Amino acid sequence: MADTEALLNEVANAVISCKKDKVLEAVEKAKTELPPEEIIEKGLSAGMNQVGVLFERGKLFLPHVMMAADAMTAGVKLLEADLPAGEKSKKLGVVVNGTVEGDVHDIGKSIVSTLLQSAGFEVYDLGRDVPIRNFIEKAKEVNAGMIGISALMTTTLQGQREVIDLLKEEGMRGKIKVMVGGAPATQAWAEKIGADCYAENASEAVAKAKELLL
Amino acid sequence: MTTEYVLRMGDGKRIYLTKEKILSEIEDGSANAADLGEIPDLSADEIDKLAEILMMPGKSVSVEQGMEVPVTHDIGTIRLDGDQGNSGVGIPSSRLVGCMTHERAFGADTMELGHIDYSFKPVKPVVSNECQAMEVCQQNMIIPLFYGAMPNMGLYYTPDGPFENPGDLMKLFKIDKARGSMEHAAEHLTRDMVWVMQKLFASGADGVNFDTTAAAGDADMYGTLRAVEILRTQFPDMYIEVGMAGEMVLGMHGELEYDEVRLAGLWPHEQALLVAKAGANVFGPVCNTNTSKTSAWNLARAVTFIRAAVEASPIPCHVNMGMGVGGIPMLETPPIDAVTRASKAMVEIAGVDGI
Repeated sequence: MADTEALLNEVANAVISCKKDKVLEAVEKAKTELPPEEIIEKGLSAGMNQVGVLFERGKLFLPHVMMAADAMTAGVKLLEADLPAGEKSKKLGVVVNGTVEGDVHDIGKSIVSTLLQSAGFEVYDLGRDVPIRNFIEKAKEVNAGMIGISALMTTTLQGQREVIDLLKEEGMRGKIKVMVGGAPATQAWAEKIGADCYAENASEAVAKAKELLL
Repeated sequence: MTTEYVLRMGDGKRIYLTKEKILSEIEDGSANAADLGEIPDLSADEIDKLAEILMMPGKSVSVEQGMEVPVTHDIGTIRLDGDQGNSGVGIPSSRLVGCMTHERAFGADTMELGHIDYSFKPVKPVVSNECQAMEVCQQNMIIPLFYGAMPNMGLYYTPDGPFENPGDLMKLFKIDKARGSMEHAAEHLTRDMVWVMQKLFASGADGVNFDTTAAAGDADMYGTLRAVEILRTQFPDMYIEVGMAGEMVLGMHGELEYDEVRLAGLWPHEQALLVAKAGANVFGPVCNTNTSKTSAWNLARAVTFIRAAVEASPIPCHVNMGMGVGGIPMLETPPIDAVTRASKAMVEIAGVDGI
């Protein structure tokens, strides 16, 4: 019987290698010995977390993050049939994520979405240049626990405050957490506009989302 | 009661720290840079010197006599006439007045002319106006006057340009197509920057400043280095400055190489070598400010990175100092206490050749 830690490490390392075939092979091997929940949490997700760290350290790059996410999704799919009832749809929380209206910066926000998804959140990425009301409507539609708002310019930063104001107007502020990010956003700005948190980068966004929603 | 000194957080908020806390923040900040860049930490003497600068009682500080360095400006005259939240103070003035004010009132050692959009691509249709403005400014000024703009390769992707947006393609896991799009955009970027600068050099520009290089990642840097190489061949005596957008080259493509060196993930001390190799005269390294950390942490980190770049670089390094870079807090108008302390540290500890 193979060692549990060795099997999980093999899955995690396969994700870090960003190769889908390696991930599928490692998951096939691990599933004969380990429960699927453990493979997902301690193998696939652990590997994806490491991909996020390596990305921020300049050792892995955007295409690698996307390939790793794709490989991880394939690995999860392979395990889905073996998951106990109720586990298949179990998510850490529902997050609506987008870049505010007037701002076409997309990549940083997409990385945050990818890492949140890989960490086990159900993410609805609205893309860039998103009208303020669309954040609210989508949050209502999917019963979101958190809205993530990105702005990459000092001129569009105000949009983050407008989303929070509209949440208040709609009487939804108490039920939904708000995370802000983007180059000109800061902790002081988050406090000033009444956001629940500010995240400096994608890994921090995942850690703070867990703090707020779990 | 222990003496506390006024410092700032990276977002500009005032904080009060003891000497012990300042020293520990400096050590942590320097260690962070050393770990990421695989470069040496600050020495004990340098840590003491940095703490001394941070604890100086004056609101503003300056370099010691004899250690003055050239100070130049980017963003053209937008700092003065910009009135749309773009770092300007909204003083109505022509670009000639703006350039001459920098020369004669602000003591700038060099200056640059820039367009309101401050990117090479939108300059193409108005290049004749830019040439005319350059000629007029040159006739009225003594200090070297460059033309400055951002490579800003994002303007070549949809919705602003002809090539499919790699961000959209990546989300669909079309990695090869995304990379192809970046490579095409880089070719066009090189072509446009060379074309614009051929016109501006013919109109008397003393040099060019490629500002915020690699803002769109490694392909943006590739396109810029190629443009530098071509311009250096065509204009052997022109002054070429390459300033960076961030401390690390973002790997949007991940596999592009220049001079057989992968561009993605390069830190300032590694970028300097390639910028020099392409033919630039001056390198403008950047270190980003973390808004959740103290100015002691940020400045120590920035000085550690920039000192390594200065040591590695075969050409002069003029460090980027301003909103959210160089250990300066992320504020639209950065506070003078932080700006002058960071500048003094960059000159006296990192040994930069200019700012």
